Order: sequence, then C-alpha cells, then structure tokens
Amino acid sequence: MMLIQAALPRMAQPAVIGVGIAYFAVIVAISVWAARRTRTASDFFVAGHGIGLVALTVASVSTSVSGFAFIGGPGLIYATGFAAMFIVLPASVTNVMGAWVLAKRMRLLGEARGLMTVPDAIGARYRSPAAQGLSGVAILVGIIGYMATNALAMGVVINAIFGVGIGWGIWLGMSVTLAYSVAGGILAGIYNDVFQGTLMAVASVLVFLFVLDAGGGLGEISRTILASDPKFLGPWGKLTPLAALSFFFVFAMGSLGQPQGVHKYYMLKDPMQLKWYPLLKTLGLVLVLLLYFGVGVSVKAFVLNGRLAPLAAPDQATPALLLNVTPLVLAALVFSGIAAATMSAVNSFINIGAAVVTHDLPIAFGRRVGNELAWGRAATVVIAIIAAVIAQHSGAMVAFLGIFGWGLFASTLVPALAVGLNWEGATRTGALASIATGLVVTLALETSAYFKVFTFPAGVTASAVALVLSLLVFFAVSRLTRSAAVGAIDPDVRLIMEM
Amino acid sequence: MSTTVDEHVRGLHLEHAVAAPEAYSETRTKRVARVALIIATCAIAVAYGSAFLPAGAPAWAPWLLALGIPGALGGIMVLGASRGRGGIGRLAWPFAFVIITLAAGFSVALALPASESASSDLWLGLPLRAAVILYGVGLLPIVVLPVAYALTFDTQTLTAADVERVRQLGNARKELAQ
Repeated sequence: MMLIQAALPRMAQPAVIGVGIAYFAVIVAISVWAARRTRTASDFFVAGHGIGLVALTVASVSTSVSGFAFIGGPGLIYATGFAAMFIVLPASVTNVMGAWVLAKRMRLLGEARGLMTVPDAIGARYRSPAAQGLSGVAILVGIIGYMATNALAMGVVINAIFGVGIGWGIWLGMSVTLAYSVAGGILAGIYNDVFQGTLMAVASVLVFLFVLDAGGGLGEISRTILASDPKFLGPWGKLTPLAALSFFFVFAMGSLGQPQGVHKYYMLKDPMQLKWYPLLKTLGLVLVLLLYFGVGVSVKAFVLNGRLAPLAAPDQATPALLLNVTPLVLAALVFSGIAAATMSAVNSFINIGAAVVTHDLPIAFGRRVGNELAWGRAATVVIAIIAAVIAQHSGAMVAFLGIFGWGLFASTLVPALAVGLNWEGATRTGALASIATGLVVTLALETSAYFKVFTFPAGVTASAVALVLSLLVFFAVSRLTRSAAVGAIDPDVRLIMEM
Repeated sequence: MSTTVDEHVRGLHLEHAVAAPEAYSETRTKRVARVALIIATCAIAVAYGSAFLPAGAPAWAPWLLALGIPGALGGIMVLGASRGRGGIGRLAWPFAFVIITLAAGFSVALALPASESASSDLWLGLPLRAAVILYGVGLLPIVVLPVAYALTFDTQTLTAADVERVRQLGNARKELAQ
C-alpha cells in the first residue's frame, strides 16, 4: 500500500514539538507498565489470550489503517478523485466478513491448542508443518516490505515534527517502537495501539468537522469541484471502472489474509465477546477514515477556489491543509496521530515477524526453540534493524516493497486460511499449491512491473491477478486431490470447523 | 496420536465431530456458497484477462467485477457463517440484502450516464452516482451486517456450550501431551 514517500513540510514549532513529546511520554509509560506483565512467549506474541473487547477493537482499528489513512490516502483522492474511496469502502463489509469467516474459528483454535500465529492455524488445519512454514515465509517476505515502508514513513513524520532529518527520524521512531516491542511484546503494542487509535480517531473527527465547516459543507465543496473538474466526483474518479472496482475486490477479499488483523483474534480474552467486535471495529474505522475522505475532497476544492496553492505532490494534501487552514494545535494532534499510526503498524509487524522466525519456521523443520520469549525478543531487534536499514538505504525500492505487502498476504493466505478453515474439502496439497502460487506470482509480476519488463493494462494489478490465480489453483488442486481431504483433518479442528 | 484424540473426543460426547470422515459430504448451503465463490472468481479472472486484449478491456469487463465481487464476498461469508448441517438460518436475509446492495450499487454507477456537472443535483452533498457508491455500497452494509451478526451470534455463531466443548477438548489434548 502506498504510504509516505516524500518529505513533508517542517512543522517544528513549540506547540507541535510539545504535543509530540507528550505523545512519546505516554508511549514510554504504557510500555514500562506492559513490560512488567510480559513473562511468557504467549504473553509476548498473543498477550496471553487476555485482551478485552474494547482494547482489542481499538488496537485492531489502529493497526488496520497505518499512515496511509492520514497522508497517502487523502493524497490519492486529491490525485485520482472518488476512485480512491474504493480502497476504504470495503470496510463496510470486511470486519463482519472476517468475523464470520475467521474470528470464531481462529479464537477457538487458540482455545483448543494454544495457537499463537496465523501459520499455526494453517499448520493445524492441514496437519502440515510444510504449509505452516511456507505461509510463514510468505508473511516474512511481505513484512520486510511493509516494515521498511512504515519505517520510512515514521522517519518522514518525525522529521516533520522535530526537524531532526529523515534518517534520524527513522532511527528515533524505530528505537522507541523497538523498545516497547522488545520489552512488552504485543501487550505493549496493544495498549499503545489503544492510545494511538484513540488519538487517531479524535484527530480524524476533529479535522473532518473542521474542513467541512471551513469548506461550507459537503455540498459546497462538491459544487466547487463540479464546476471545474466534474470527473473528480464521478464514481470512478480519474480511473477506469475496472481499476476502481479492482481496488474494491483486492481490499475486500484481501482483508481476510492480513496477518496484522487476523492474528488479533487469538488475543480476545473471552470468545463470546466476539459478538460486538465487528460492530465496534466498523464504527471505529469509519471515524478514523473520516479524515481520509474529508481532507481529500476539501483540499481539492480549496486548491480549485484558490484558498490553497496547487500541491507539489499529492502526499502534500494533508500537511498543506494542516499548515494553512487548521489551528496549529489540531495540526500537532494530527501529526502525532500519523506518527502513532506508523509506529502501531511497525510494532504489529515486528511482532508477527518475530513469531514466524522463532516459532513457525522451526516447527516447519521439525524443531522447537527452547526459550521462545528470549528468542522472540532477539528476533524483534534483528527484524527492526533490517527494516530500518532497508528504509534508509534502498531509495525508491522502498515504495516497491510496500506495494506488494498487501497483495502478497492476500494471495498467499486468503485461500489456505480463510477458505480452508471453512471448507472441509480443501486439501493440504491445494493449500501448499495456492500459497506457492501467491508467493511466486506476486513476486514475479511485481518485480517485472517494477523493472518495466511489461506494463499492466489499466485496471489490472499484480495483487489482483495473484489473488485470483491462487484462489483458482486452491480450488482446482483441492478438487484433484479430494480423496485425501477429510481424513487429513484432526478431530478437534473438524469440530471447530463445523461450529 | 490422532486415534487417541478421537477416543477422547468420543469420551466428551462430541461424536458428531468425528463422524466417520468417509461419510462426510458437503452441505447444500456450503456447496452453493463454494460454487458461487468459484464462479465469481472465474468471472473476475475473465474481466482481468480481457484487459490484456489488444483493444483494451471491453465494455462488459467492469460488469463482471460489479457482479463478481458481491458474488465472491457473499459466497465466502455464507461459507463462514454456515454452522454444521444447519446452514445459515435467518442470516440468509441480511446476506441477500448486502449482496443485492453491492451489485445494485455498482450496476447503477455503471449504467447511469456520466452527467456530473456544476448543475447536477446533489444527494447528501454528492452527485448521484458518487452518492450511490458512498452511501449505498459504503454505509448501508454497516447498518445491516454487524447488527445481524450481533443479533444472531448466540444462536447462529457461538454458544457458551460450544466454547466449553472446545475447552474440554483442549484440556484433553494437554493431558495427552503430558
């Protein structure tokens, strides 16, 4: 997913720095508290299966959106018009779809077997360490891209707040995130996410109300845009219908394969609390995404009516609005919210990556790590450093790495996990074939497109093609090997699948 | 190992969970959902494939996505919500509503002429086609689906007895492991 690639304007003023320091102080306090409560690998990776409903919901909203919702998203609306809404509109169905398709079964698998990771669930479903290992590899590859992109975004935002330079911003942000990730694991992550998610929601609602008021209401904003650029407010914006609908497909179906969201189902203290989880999470996402829509359309209107100068780059939409239209305190709050979003995403991915390295890959090779908590902490440090180094040194490649993360998770995990946990006819061979297809096709197509070996026609993306192919391969191979289907499911897993 | 766990499962009166695997057959609801998901995925694949034609994507290609996306999402939701041999019960109504809402919303946006202009009528602040997408596709399902999930949770999704049975099974596995 596109994040923040270009430098943002410097906002290093006393009010902004003050809010930023207050924000980091709260992060440190939460982390110290969480570190004292992290004693086992289960505490470290899944918060001991003990997180309450509201905390889990807010944390899940926080990790779902990342900095894209605050910077890249409004910029994309500014550049492509209403089409960019097709990235976030699937939120109307994805949370409840995830609850029906995955939440109950994964939470019950956690209850029955003490599972901790997404590959754990795949391994248990197919009784296959190989499938667990291969899905772990896919997650690790995707995480490297996501982490590097978010680390760069973190550096850009911290530089905008404190004026320390992007390089130092990366290492400062990564150090803070790493400190609480290593000390408090996912427990620190969750409660920092609660704080960060609340901050993001408050900032989003305030900015949305402010820009609507400043623009004279949504109707007035629309009138301004329609007078000069009516295509902007057509349903497909500046893109083709195929491209806009393709966004919807990839971001709706692909949501079922995003490990940062899916593995949170393990953490809920009481499975019966799932009842209200989709409703609360959907409402939370709507609040956080108000800024995405509000800033995107209002900046377009403000540029058209001369209130703002034309933007040098689409990513400048939110900063330009904050610097020129909103009060400084609100701008400071939003920038802390953006830093919060990127740190929240980084923490979640660090934790998932460490679990793959210390838990899933050893299992795939028939081994178990002796002290998963200690090794988990060590892996956390290594992954964070690798991501920060990549973010600092790979230039334009970082954008490329970030783009395929979502698609890679979707194409490798949706068939084997989301369909497989709900269809007894799925086979181990089908799962392995679909994961391998998703991994190879995504990497091959994204790499070819990046190096301009070929250009996709309008409306088609590597993520979409890989997702469709891996689904079809999954069904076809499972059909061909169906004689091995039901007998390969353990009784407890079968019970959970039938519930 | 598996046989031993089977015995424990039987001891916990969970026989249906280990009903002879060879006797397994897909329920009608699950079969319909799976076939819908496969057909919808094929339709989406054809739409993408058509974009590689020399003349570009034909006019019918977006229609395959407009109908394929609701079909695929509906299919996987039904697959996930099906419970044992009981199907989806009352959830059939909210599922049908959302599938129709998504398909209708996309179809209206595709079918209506591109007539947005400074003199367009606005619907809740947006021109008609954008309003249909934002409020119809983006907001209507929020009013229906999560509420339907919560209202049917105790009967259709998970009961305290389910959780207890799974906990007993988990304990049985732990005892075996020790």
